[in-house]
Amino acid sequence: MSKVVEVSPTTRHEGHSKLVLKVNDDGIIERGDWLSITPVRGIEKLAIGKTMEQVPKIASRVCGICPIAHTLAATEAMEASIGCEITEDAYLLRLILQCANRLHSHALHDILALPDMYLPGTDTKINPFSPEEPVRSVAKRIQTLRMVGQTIGEIVGGEAVHPSNPRVGGMYKNITPRARAKVYDLAKMALPLAREQMEFMIAVFRNWQKRDWAEVAGKEIPIPDRFGYHNQGYMAADPVYGCTSLDENPRWFPERWTEVRPWDWYMGEEEITLEDPSYPVGGTTKAGTKAWPQMEACTGVPLYDGQPVEVGPRARLVEFKNYDERGAMGLNIAREMEYMDAVYKMIEAADALNCSGAVLPDVIPQGDGSIGWAANEAPRGCDVHLAKVRNGKVEWFSMLVPTTWNFPTCSRALEGAPWQLAEIIVRAYDPCVSCATHMIVVDEDKRLVAEKLFE
Amino acid sequence: MVLGNYKQVVAARSTDPEILRGSQDGGIVTQLFAYALDAGIIDGAIVAGPSDEPFKPEPMVATTREELMASRGTRYSISPNMELIKEVTRSYGLDKVGIVGTPCQMQAIRKGQLYPVGLRDVPDKIALAIGIFCMENFPYQGILQLVEDHGATKIDNVRKLDIGKGKFWIHTERGATVDLPLKITHKYEQPGCHVCLDYVANLADISTGSVGTPDGWSTIFVRSAKGDDIWAKAIAAGAFETKPIESVKPGIDLVTKLATDKITKNQKYLESRATEYGVGKALRNPYI
Repeated sequence: MSKVVEVSPTTRHEGHSKLVLKVNDDGIIERGDWLSITPVRGIEKLAIGKTMEQVPKIASRVCGICPIAHTLAATEAMEASIGCEITEDAYLLRLILQCANRLHSHALHDILALPDMYLPGTDTKINPFSPEEPVRSVAKRIQTLRMVGQTIGEIVGGEAVHPSNPRVGGMYKNITPRARAKVYDLAKMALPLAREQMEFMIAVFRNWQKRDWAEVAGKEIPIPDRFGYHNQGYMAADPVYGCTSLDENPRWFPERWTEVRPWDWYMGEEEITLEDPSYPVGGTTKAGTKAWPQMEACTGVPLYDGQPVEVGPRARLVEFKNYDERGAMGLNIAREMEYMDAVYKMIEAADALNCSGAVLPDVIPQGDGSIGWAANEAPRGCDVHLAKVRNGKVEWFSMLVPTTWNFPTCSRALEGAPWQLAEIIVRAYDPCVSCATHMIVVDEDKRLVAEKLFE
Repeated sequence: MVLGNYKQVVAARSTDPEILRGSQDGGIVTQLFAYALDAGIIDGAIVAGPSDEPFKPEPMVATTREELMASRGTRYSISPNMELIKEVTRSYGLDKVGIVGTPCQMQAIRKGQLYPVGLRDVPDKIALAIGIFCMENFPYQGILQLVEDHGATKIDNVRKLDIGKGKFWIHTERGATVDLPLKITHKYEQPGCHVCLDYVANLADISTGSVGTPDGWSTIFVRSAKGDDIWAKAIAAGAFETKPIESVKPGIDLVTKLATDKITKNQKYLESRATEYGVGKALRNPYI
């Protein structure tokens, strides 16, 4: 006889989401629904009628962790729609920004993931805020890596958080040789730190894989062998940067994408029948409460070839580097492995950058309303923005963001795990829920579906 | 208190003949930045650089002595130097920034340091803020009218503009000099300048201007601990020749008089806003 337990809200990730889990008598998840409960942003609606310059700035405000990814994806979607190629130096500046974003975001995830993990060889959970070694120097290293990422973002992008320098057609300004030297030095400084951090984190995640149990609320919960495994595919557009519809060989295919309403995907109304007041933090939802995932979920369910897919660090590594480790820890390890590439790419790009090169083309077309898309490999995965621009104004805009893709995939990865460990699987996806929250009506058929939801 | 807080006031001029050749008075700002660049106190400075039009300043980031040299001398139009304060720490990549500005720009920079809204990572990078004495400022169009219409001189031929001894002076390349009584310049002043209650850049690290000292010299107020430190080092390095302010004519009394005049006049204007402009209250004096 299965029971229903709800963890709401989930913690230690960005945004608001919850877990509604059907579990068997042993507490093993039979069906998991992980859903966003962040209110809908409405960026797509705000964008209509705005100039193509404004929309990437508005789109970047959807979140404060990867605004760079959203700015670049939206900017390049506009460029794809109007058919504007950017200069080599503008591309290099954007590449530096992209890597800076990835560096600080991955470092942030380490802080969020560490409290679930154990110091290798002990039964002591890691508190990243502890003043004691070895954790103290890890925390300092994470802060330094984040400082490097944000400072480079600030120099190249104009702002550490919402970059002001990228614009449709390229960048507003190139950087001076002194600024380039600073970027180079900072990246060089980060290089050994990133390597140490990667090795430390991988050791910690490998240690978890060897453990038989993990402590949750004072109880020893057994860790299954296939912890966080799923059988879904992967989707990635590029190992580091991204691609657009202007590319000769695009690596993302809009015709393979469809979208389902949450009404048709998530569980119907369920009564909570299992509660655990000792579950951190503050216990699970009280028994007798009603949960209605198909009504409460604030995201659409995007499918690729009719199936949910995983996006993110592992998807990039699988698609481009034949990485083959599965499960929640496989994903965490893949993320750590991306540190080095991010730093090396910054160094290479800073080396190649010509500080007196043009960063804007001579002519920026104003668009004829044709559709353009750009897929940017954000820290959490493939971030696709689609746009139609006519005479410099945005007619239609849509964002398909990484965590939206991961919601249904991660939900499937929950199956087979003890419900107490579900949040650890969720955290492995480094979810960033706020940008994932969208309602997009794609065509007439699906509008009917959306109406069903609002009835 | 019309002169603000200061640790010392002296008369000084640069010891560098090259700087003095193109400077307005004692070459203080150029020399101080040149010294600070040399000594590694600043990486660069935001100064009023040349633009496409003569005597129209444009904010510029000077990171070399040559760039500083190009920006010597006073242009009496506003150069919005604060415009670059953020960019200088971004795409210019400076960590220690020098900035020169009028009293209002010094107020802006200190306010930005106190409340760095939209100025992330900027406040701690300001290494030296030099203020210049300012009675009021002219829009560029006003300068053009004064020089070309009242002064009957083509602005392209002007070598130096100066305000001193109660007159507006136009020195041309050919050696001719035109002087206009200050009375006729008043209507070209920026109206915004009439609410200002600061003559000698009270909030700068070091403030300087020609008033109070003979031609070719400048009056220096050393105000902050940072300014005091840099000034002492610059003196020790032989960058400046100084004289006690008491030993020069017309002396500190003239500075006090002009500062008092400006503040009294503008205070009256501020109060008149309550009655004549229908806003119901006078503007607040930010120094009280």
